[in-house]
Amino acid sequence: MSQAPKKARHTGPAPLHGLLAEYDSPDALIRGAEKVRNAGFRDWDTFTPFPVHGIDGAMGIRPTILPWIILCGGLGGCTLALGFQWWANGVDYPFLISGKPFWSVPANIPITFELTVLFSALTAVFGMFALNKLPQPAHPLDLKERFARSTDDRFFVLVQASDPVFDERDTRTLLETSGATAVEDVPEDVKSESEMPRGILYVLLILAAASTIPFALAAYARESKTTTTRFDIVPDMDFQQKFKGQRMNTFFADKRADRLQIEGTVAVGELHDDDHLYAGKLNGVFARTFPPSIHIDQATMDRGRERFGIYCTPCHGQVGEGDGMVHQRALSLAEGTWVPPSNITDERLRVMPVGEIFNTITHGVRNMPAYGHQIPAEDRWAIILYVRALQKSRAAELKDLSEQERESLIRGG
Amino acid sequence: MAHGKEVHLDDNIQIGDEASDLGKKALGIGVVALVLGVVVGGGPLGRQFTASYLVAFLYVLALGLGLLWFVTIQHLTNAKWSVVVRRVAEILAANMPVLALLALPVIIPIVIGQSEIYEWSDPSKVAQSPALEHKAGYLNVTFFLIRVVVYFGFWGLLSRYFLKQSIDQDTSGKPEVNKSLQAVSAPSMILFGLTLTFCAFDLIMSVDPDFFSTIFGVYYFGGAVASGYSLLALSLMWLQGKGRLTHSVNREHYHDLGKMMFAFGVVFWSYIAFSQFMLIWYGDVPEETHWFHDRFNGDWKIVSGALLLCHFVIPFFGLLSRHVKRNRKTLAFWAFWLLVIEYVDLYWLVMPSLSKDEIPLHIADLLCWVGVVGVFVGAAAMRAKGKNLVPTKDPRLADSLAFLNP
Repeated sequence: MSQAPKKARHTGPAPLHGLLAEYDSPDALIRGAEKVRNAGFRDWDTFTPFPVHGIDGAMGIRPTILPWIILCGGLGGCTLALGFQWWANGVDYPFLISGKPFWSVPANIPITFELTVLFSALTAVFGMFALNKLPQPAHPLDLKERFARSTDDRFFVLVQASDPVFDERDTRTLLETSGATAVEDVPEDVKSESEMPRGILYVLLILAAASTIPFALAAYARESKTTTTRFDIVPDMDFQQKFKGQRMNTFFADKRADRLQIEGTVAVGELHDDDHLYAGKLNGVFARTFPPSIHIDQATMDRGRERFGIYCTPCHGQVGEGDGMVHQRALSLAEGTWVPPSNITDERLRVMPVGEIFNTITHGVRNMPAYGHQIPAEDRWAIILYVRALQKSRAAELKDLSEQERESLIRGG
Repeated sequence: MAHGKEVHLDDNIQIGDEASDLGKKALGIGVVALVLGVVVGGGPLGRQFTASYLVAFLYVLALGLGLLWFVTIQHLTNAKWSVVVRRVAEILAANMPVLALLALPVIIPIVIGQSEIYEWSDPSKVAQSPALEHKAGYLNVTFFLIRVVVYFGFWGLLSRYFLKQSIDQDTSGKPEVNKSLQAVSAPSMILFGLTLTFCAFDLIMSVDPDFFSTIFGVYYFGGAVASGYSLLALSLMWLQGKGRLTHSVNREHYHDLGKMMFAFGVVFWSYIAFSQFMLIWYGDVPEETHWFHDRFNGDWKIVSGALLLCHFVIPFFGLLSRHVKRNRKTLAFWAFWLLVIEYVDLYWLVMPSLSKDEIPLHIADLLCWVGVVGVFVGAAAMRAKGKNLVPTKDPRLADSLAFLNP
């Protein structure tokens, strides 16, 4: 379709844009279109209220290149999605999530899939607009009253005067003998603006400018500091009717929100008067024996091994050599402030009284946190029993083995 | 657009001796291959034969189920385009009773407690595993037998019903038949989904009885439907090569079959396969990950990679273009491709659970495959003899003949 002439201020009759033929059925349209096609026209088109099967062939339209454009759009979306996720997760902000590699392709597939579909769909719509030269604010056919029925129950062929084969009389005869129910002149539209109305253009420009505001605000917020308090959207959440630990409360004379235990009382189940069991001390020094209430048996050993696996292996490693995942991760970050976890099979810890190890687990040491509030005292002792087993396994002597085991060692079995 | 119910079909729509010749040859080859398979596979209860036969049987079961689903969905949606290709699908899908027979070498070892590959059917192994004991309420021989009878009974009846009603319409010409078939296909579709899902659990997933994945049935369904469409396209091409249906079936119908092959065999299958993989990968629970661990280690790593490439990446770009789907030669190539990769997929589902790290390729795999496919094709060809290959009195036939893709 050719563009209407630019803002032509015409006096006298408008020049001829083309000839419009009307058909009353899709079959008649297809027969008419075949005739126009066979006459060698190129600047012409058909208009129908609904898609008509076979019209492409009747008009001799070559297959559209739109699928290739969509393929490029889809591949572009795919590349963008994978590329951005690789950059964000693997390069700009690596963050360890459940032990997976920083850049894990499986996690990226849903986003990649969505962006591929989105870009394909958007390319299809806007590619179709572009190939159809849309939007077209004015067209000579808009002025034809008869043409309104192209959205209802009539089928049209428009042959443009700009076509080299066009001859007003011959073309009219061709259309009239092609099964058309009517053939009419279509004059050029000399009144309408052929360009986008200024108003719409301004609105689009303002919208485009406005769309940058959220990004500008975000950029500003990242680079600036403020002294005003934040705006509370949900005050119930921000100011809850309770006191948090380590806060002030003017209701009490000592102004603490935390209440201390009342002197001379003991909470239920908190009577820890057995120093050996709860502090690892006998007569004020670290005990070298397990408390009598801890049974040294396989069940306690299994319990200790399980608890050790849960609480200790992240830093100390599976056999306690101080090579756990946290340690390895810290080394890989190479930040220089890392105090390595102890190797619990060292000589120093092998001779350390069990009471002192108990004290370490309870209160922590150096950068090892306190576990007293997480692990019940009985479990701490079970862990120590397992630790002793680990230590022994690294410093065993021949005399520690049973007769049978010694035999098998000698035989090399 | 053509309208009207009376259609004069100027086409050769029956096949006689050519079908029975093919049928006899295929049946003969199939039976001989199966006997050889039993011999080289260590007897009918041998571990090699049981495993090879299971994969081969799942393969022809996928063909039959895919085509049965095709017939059901066409009736359910009152589809017009597919009328000219539906009868061939009905004839192929009517193999369901034959498939029930072919299922016996899979079922009998379980029932007599001699199965080499289904641990849950062995009481002594169940007693050793708390997980299997816990699952014994479902995974026990009696309940398994009941379920299998329900599956194959339902599929057999449904497929025979569709074929019989459709052929009766050729003589009676009653348009109401379509209404009643539509009414039957709606509840049948629900039952089909349930039976296929649980059949996939019972026959494939329970080879590794510790593993569980609720999407497993859908995974098998995707491959089954794709291979059903592929076989249908190839069958139509064979018939047209013999001078049948040359005017009725044209590239518009092949184009639609190609779209479905692309949709189910490439996109749907990959979507489901990835959905299953990603949740298990993310959740990282040992009860589930061990199944993929078996498949991502040792030589199986190669097969997993090959599936990703040959079930998704390559056919995605290969089948994407409409020109490929409208050209009979290129469509035939991709139909073969999908039928081959379906076997690889089923092999990958079953075998890594039985043989860690190593791909246990054996001549029995090939013999079993040739055997069951021979029986499947042979039975269908014998059935096709003398039948109309197009439902001549279906009121939607004219629309199907005049069908054009937009």
